[in-house]
Amino acid sequence: MTRLQSIICLPLVVGAIMLGMSGCASKGLQSGGDTRAGKSAKSAKSAQSAQQDDKVGLGQDLPDTSFSGEDSSRGLRGLDKNPAEERLGGNSLMAKSDPNSAARQMGEIRAEQAAAAAAGLRDVFFAFDSFMISGEGRQALLRNAEWIKSNPGAQLKIEGHCDERGTSAYNLVLGEKRAKAARNYLVELGVTSNQLSIVSYGKERPFCNEHDESCYSQNRRAHVVVHIDK
Amino acid sequence: MPFRTVVIISLCLSVGLAWIIESGATDVYLEATRSDFQKIPLAIAGINNVGGAESPEGRLKLGTRIEEVLKADVRRSLVFSLVDLQSIGVNVGTLGTTPDPAFKQAAEQGVSVIVWGKAGMKSEGKDADVNMDGYVYDAGSDEMVGGKRYVGSTSVMRLMAHRFADELVFRYTGEPGIARTKIAYVSEQGTAREIFVMDYDGHDARQVTADGFLNLMPRWSPDRRFLVFTAYRKRSMQNIDMIEVATGKRWTLVALGGLNITPALSPDGNYLAFASSYEGNSEIYRMDTRTKALQRLTGHAGGDLSPSWSPSGRELAFASDRSGGPQIFLMSRDGTNVRRLTFEGDYNAAPVWSPRGNWIAYVCRTPKKEYKLCLITPDGQKRVQLTTGQGVDDSPSWSPDGRHLVFSSTAGGKSHIYMINADGKDLERITFSGTHNSAPTWSPAS
Repeated sequence: MTRLQSIICLPLVVGAIMLGMSGCASKGLQSGGDTRAGKSAKSAKSAQSAQQDDKVGLGQDLPDTSFSGEDSSRGLRGLDKNPAEERLGGNSLMAKSDPNSAARQMGEIRAEQAAAAAAGLRDVFFAFDSFMISGEGRQALLRNAEWIKSNPGAQLKIEGHCDERGTSAYNLVLGEKRAKAARNYLVELGVTSNQLSIVSYGKERPFCNEHDESCYSQNRRAHVVVHIDK
Repeated sequence: MPFRTVVIISLCLSVGLAWIIESGATDVYLEATRSDFQKIPLAIAGINNVGGAESPEGRLKLGTRIEEVLKADVRRSLVFSLVDLQSIGVNVGTLGTTPDPAFKQAAEQGVSVIVWGKAGMKSEGKDADVNMDGYVYDAGSDEMVGGKRYVGSTSVMRLMAHRFADELVFRYTGEPGIARTKIAYVSEQGTAREIFVMDYDGHDARQVTADGFLNLMPRWSPDRRFLVFTAYRKRSMQNIDMIEVATGKRWTLVALGGLNITPALSPDGNYLAFASSYEGNSEIYRMDTRTKALQRLTGHAGGDLSPSWSPSGRELAFASDRSGGPQIFLMSRDGTNVRRLTFEGDYNAAPVWSPRGNWIAYVCRTPKKEYKLCLITPDGQKRVQLTTGQGVDDSPSWSPDGRHLVFSSTAGGKSHIYMINADGKDLERITFSGTHNSAPTWSPAS
């Protein structure tokens, strides 16, 4: 190889190596990633066509939230050797809790709990990070199923709860899985599904606040109450 | 070298170049704040007290309090390093409107910027205004290069310091600064959880919602006028609501039934990404805020949630438990090109994309089963654990300058809000009252 050839070749070889590395890197991401990307795109597309005209349940008359990325320093006026007086105002708007509304909600919650206690409804408890219903949980749901079958006009609300470990968001999803697992088992036991509703509270309405397993196990539950809709 | 080889190599090179250009179109770009960034040495000679008025917070006189707030702002800017003039042997005389002769002496010792001023009540009486003057001496030009004169009620005393700090950052970096930014969060009020907004340093908190039940996981609109959040209607329906912070005016954006959580408006404000279980399990959807057209972006048996937009709005990071425990994934804004980003550990959730684009922060479960904050680059090449120790850390959110994060932690027993630098330094607790503060989210800059 002449000297000229090696001068030409060196950047080519470096480039080829870089190319190889980049190829590996992107492959590494792909191979560990979702191999069904194509499929999910397809289903996303079909969801779009299905949903395009269905605006039910989506807000109407929204204010314009568009943002043009205007000058980021718009609030500042810069330093001045002879500064003019700049008047600053504070935003004093403060939402005030309506004590009547709070009392009404507390009253409803108490009524739901009292009705559940009177009916002898039982909660289902779960293992850490799990939404599998244990043998004990099945016993509790069997008891609940008997009650609801003998009270055909009643509505049960199943609340999914989680312990404080993990993120708020993921615990809302886990709480929903717990509530659904309990609901599905009740349906398996012959309860009509329109007597059942579910809601997830994640880790946002804990039964206790201590950072230990005895409290955590109390918070990992599907809490079953008599739904009083007002 | 045979001709054919040259052709093949050149072909490869042009493909490689195309790949490099293509990857430039993603949200990975060079850090604007280099790790070797030299902070600008700045000294605050003093904010003198005019008259004897105390600050509304008590204990300190007005000028002294504003100086204290200003010092904290300057330190948190990470643009300046605070120099104590006395400790370098510089003693300034009585401060007026012109630079003190001793400033030159400080300049010779490497101080680049010296700030001074005065504050007091403008007049007597209950509703009297506060007056604050601030001046800036620049060592480079050896003169007073500019100042500010603020007036307002005692309730905006801290804002005077914040605005002055941001003017300093703006003058020396061209960035708007973060001292006037806000943090929205969820605060427990009895058995309810409501949305609050406070200054970025944890002061001047005010309540934004008062529904008496659950309002969760707020996120700012890019113009920082609105907050979007999950609101429980009748205690059992989870909707996504939007509230105008200045007026309290409220809209329901999403009421599909099922779980509707983790809303996030795109950087251009035209799309709302959120997770909903209305079609079965939790999937990520994108709603056009102008036409209300809804598009599902994920379609998977696992739960998909917590979408976070890249700063360009072209990609989304999200959490998914499709491969067992939750992991962080990336996808294009139309739901294509899905790829898994995290592989370390069996629980990674709540991703948030840095406004600079170079990091994604998330909650990671460590081998010791602790829930801590981690950072990963969007190409997955670099990963660091940011927080350590006791407590469950949750809900990271970036400052608009990308230099800090806020998050909630139970490290002190009750859940409170903390701030930390993106390099893991300067951990600072910013909420001290209340029984449970969580889900902090940092506003854009203005």
